[in-house]
Amino acid sequence: VTALRIGIDVGATTAGAAAVDRHGRLLAKARTPATTDLGADVTVLVRALIAYAAVEPARVTRVMLSTPHARDALTRRRGLRRVATIRIGAPLTHAIPPLATWPADLREAVSVGTAVVRGGAEYDGRSVMALDTDAIARFLEPLADQAESVAVTSVFAPVAADHELQAADVARRVLGWGVHVSMSHDLGTIGLLERENATVLNATLAGVAGRVGDAVEGVLTAHGIDADLFLAQNDGTLVAIDRALDFGVLVVGSGPATSMRGAAHLSGVTDAVVVDAGGTSTGVGAVVHASPREGTGPVHIAGVRVGFPMVEVLRLALGGGSLIDLAATPLVVGPRSVASAFGRDALVFGGATPTLADAAVATGRAQYGSGALVTSRRDELAPALDVLDEALAGAIGWATDTTVPGPLLAVGGASDLIPDSLPGVYEVIRPRNGEIAGAIGAAMAPVSAQAERICSNRPDVVLAALDDARAVARARAIHAGADPDTVEIVQLDEIPLTNLVDPAIRIRVKAAGPPG
Amino acid sequence: MMLLPDRKEESVLLDRLDASNLQAVSRGCALLAAGGGGDPELTLLMALRAVEEHGPVPVVRFEDLDDDALVMPCGLIGAPTIATERLWSGDEGRTLVAAVEQLRGVPVAALMAFEIGGANGLLPVTWAARLGLPLVDADGMGRAFPHLQQQAMHLAGMPSSPVVLTDGRGNGLVLHALDDVWSEQIVSRAAASLGGVCAGAVYCMTAGQGPTAAIGGSLSHAFALGSGAGEPATVILGEGRLATLERRLDGGVAYGAATVLGSGADYARELRLELQDEFLLAIEDGEVRAAVPDIISVLALETGIPLSTERLQYGERVTVVGLPVPPGWTTEAGLRVAGPAAFGYDVPYTPLVGAA
Repeated sequence: VTALRIGIDVGATTAGAAAVDRHGRLLAKARTPATTDLGADVTVLVRALIAYAAVEPARVTRVMLSTPHARDALTRRRGLRRVATIRIGAPLTHAIPPLATWPADLREAVSVGTAVVRGGAEYDGRSVMALDTDAIARFLEPLADQAESVAVTSVFAPVAADHELQAADVARRVLGWGVHVSMSHDLGTIGLLERENATVLNATLAGVAGRVGDAVEGVLTAHGIDADLFLAQNDGTLVAIDRALDFGVLVVGSGPATSMRGAAHLSGVTDAVVVDAGGTSTGVGAVVHASPREGTGPVHIAGVRVGFPMVEVLRLALGGGSLIDLAATPLVVGPRSVASAFGRDALVFGGATPTLADAAVATGRAQYGSGALVTSRRDELAPALDVLDEALAGAIGWATDTTVPGPLLAVGGASDLIPDSLPGVYEVIRPRNGEIAGAIGAAMAPVSAQAERICSNRPDVVLAALDDARAVARARAIHAGADPDTVEIVQLDEIPLTNLVDPAIRIRVKAAGPPG
Repeated sequence: MMLLPDRKEESVLLDRLDASNLQAVSRGCALLAAGGGGDPELTLLMALRAVEEHGPVPVVRFEDLDDDALVMPCGLIGAPTIATERLWSGDEGRTLVAAVEQLRGVPVAALMAFEIGGANGLLPVTWAARLGLPLVDADGMGRAFPHLQQQAMHLAGMPSSPVVLTDGRGNGLVLHALDDVWSEQIVSRAAASLGGVCAGAVYCMTAGQGPTAAIGGSLSHAFALGSGAGEPATVILGEGRLATLERRLDGGVAYGAATVLGSGADYARELRLELQDEFLLAIEDGEVRAAVPDIISVLALETGIPLSTERLQYGERVTVVGLPVPPGWTTEAGLRVAGPAAFGYDVPYTPLVGAA
C-alpha cells in the first residue's frame, strides 16, 4: 500500500485539490468556487477526492495547503494579534523609529507600543553594548493586558542573535511563558527596517496559521484522514504546520509559486515562462530548474516593505471573466470581472455581460458555454483579445531571462485564453490538468529553510562559516519537516560587503528536501 | 555626434528641500551613484521624517552666505550596507558640528553633502533639518566615488583635515593627516573600528572658497535628473539582459565584470561593464564607450530604478546609461585621482560621446 498526498490550493476565486501518489502521478482532482470559509471549501474538495476509489483516506499521509488566509488577514486587518515591538540598538537607529514607515491604519491595528533599547552587535558579531533588559521589562509591564505577541529585532541579529534570545526571555518572564515572540534572526537578512517589518508582521500573524491548521485538520479527521499537514511558503516550498504556527509571514504569498511549480511538474519542462490565467487576473512568472524565480526588487506586504525575496510574478488584471467595455473607443478590458458569476452573466452562458472569455469563444480560441450565442459578434469582440495578447507579450518579455525564444507553460482555469503563438515564445505548452497546477505544485514541493552568516573574507573563516551556515540551514529544513536523509543544500550565495578595510562576506544558504 | 555639454546651468534651482521634492532628488542621487554610494532609500526615509518633524531645509548657494561663513561637508564613511543595519541616531550631525566648531572657533553656517551620489546625497538633510541649518547646493564629487581624496576640494588643493568622525554612540575622533591619501588610509581603518560605518566631516571650507573648490548645483542637478525637469544630458549606452556576472574580492575591493547582451534595437550587441563599488568602464567590441570619471549607471528596464553593483542579478533586463561629470574631473589632474588608472585599469579615459 503506497502513501498518497493531497495538495490543496485556495485562490481568490477558485480552490483546487489534487491527490497524487509518491511519484507525483495524479489520482484524482477537484475544484470548487472559493468562499471565505476555508473549512467548508476543504470539506467539498476532500469529499470529491475520496469519492474516487483510488483515494483511500487511510492511505493519505500528507496534506499540503496553499492559502491566501494570512495575506487576507493583513489586507482586511482581521484576526491580527496586537504586538509590542522591541528594537535593540540604541543609541543608534533612532532616526527612523519602529513602524514609522507603515500605513497608519495598519500600524494602529497592530501595535500596542514600540521601544528602542540599548544593545545589539557589530557586523562581525562582537557585542559592544550590553542589552538593557530593565528597559525591556519596564516597556512590557504596562502592556501586559494588551500585548498578544512580541516582536524583537536587534542590530546585526542575523550575525549574533543572543540579545534577541535574552529579550525573548524577558518578554516571557513579564508576559507569561505562553506569549508568542517573533525574533528577527529567524526571519530575514541584513537591513534592519525590512527585517523588523517582517518580524512585526509575523508577530501579528501568529494566530492565523493556527486557525488555518485547526480548520483543515478538523475536516481531515472527520473524513478519516490522519496526515501531516504542511503549508506552502512564499517561495512555493513547504513548512510543517507546527513550524508554520510561529512563522505566519512566510506563508503570506504562496499562490503564484505553487502554480509555477505545478506547471513545471505537469509538463516536465524545468525552464520556462509560466502564465497562470484565472477568472479575474493572470499571473506571469518563470521557472528556473523547476523552481519559481525570485525577484531582486523591493517587496511589500500590505504596504510594508520586507526584506525577504518573493517569487517574481507580474499580475495582469485580465482573466476569463474580465468585463469588456464595448462603448469605449478603443474598447477597454478589465480590471473589473464578473468573477464567480461567470457561469451566469457571460454571453456564452446566456447572460448579458461581454467578457474576455466570450471574445475567445467568438474567435474560436476557446470553447465555453454556447458558441452560437457569440459567433455573430465576432468582429465586435475580437479586439479584446488584442488587448490581452499585447499585455501578455509585454509580460513575457519581462519574464524571459534569455534573448532566445523559449517555451511557455499555460495553466490555470482560463488557460484557453492564451494564444498558440506569442512573440518571444518558441512553443506554448498546455499541460494536462493545468487548471489544478497550484494544487499539484503544493503536493510536489520540497520542504526548505535558509541560513545566513557574515564573516571576514579569510579563507579559513569563510570555510568555517560556510560549514556552519550549511548545518544550520539543514537543521532548520529538517525542523520544518524535511526528510533528514535526503535534505540537501540547493542554493548558496556569497555577497561581498564593500568599503571595508578587512573585507567581509555575506553567505546565504538554502536547504531543501522532500517532506519526511 | 557631439560632445556632451557641461552641466553648469540647471533650469530649476532648488531653494528648499521638503516632502514635495525629496523623492525626486533621491532618484537623481541614485542615478548619479554609478552603482555605488549605497541605497538612498534609507536616507530618503530619514530625510522625509526629519523635514516632517523640523520643517523644510533651506538650500543656499555659496554666494548667499558671508565669505567667511563656515561650510561643513559631511556624510557617511565606510560600508553603506552596514548603515542599512545599524541605521543612524539622527544626531551624528550635531556631534560633528560641535567638534568642527570647537576646532575652528567659529559657528558652522551651513552643511553640504560631500558626495551627491547614493545614500550620501540626502544624509546631511536629516542632520541639517535637526540643526536648523541650511544646506549648500553643492558637493565634492558630482557622483559617487569610494575614496576620500576623490573630491573636487582635493583637486583645488584644499586639505581634508582636520577630519572629524563619530559612530553616533559617543565615540569620536579628530584626525590631522599629512595629506589626503594618508587621510583616506587612516579614516577607512578608523571607520572599520567604529563599526564598519561612521559619520564624518571633511574638507571644511569658507563660503568664499566654495565656488572654486566644490562642485556647484549638485542638489538641483539631482532634482532635475530625478524629476525629469530640464534636459539631463544622458547617453543610452545599451539595452539588454545581464548575461554574465563575475565577482572577486581582492584587498577589500570587490572587482567584478558583467556583460549586457543586447535586446530590442540593440539585438546582438554586447556591452561589457567593469565594476568595483561603482560601474567604471563600458566596453563594446574592444572599444571604450564610457569610462570613469564619467558616470555609468545601470537601470532596471521596466522600472527605471538605478541598480547598485551589489544588487545586480543575472538575467535582469537593464538599460545602461552614461552621464558626464563636471569638467574638473576630466582634466589631467582630475583623471590622475579618479580616472581609469586610479582604479587599476590600463585604458585611457575616453570622453562620453552621444548621438545628438
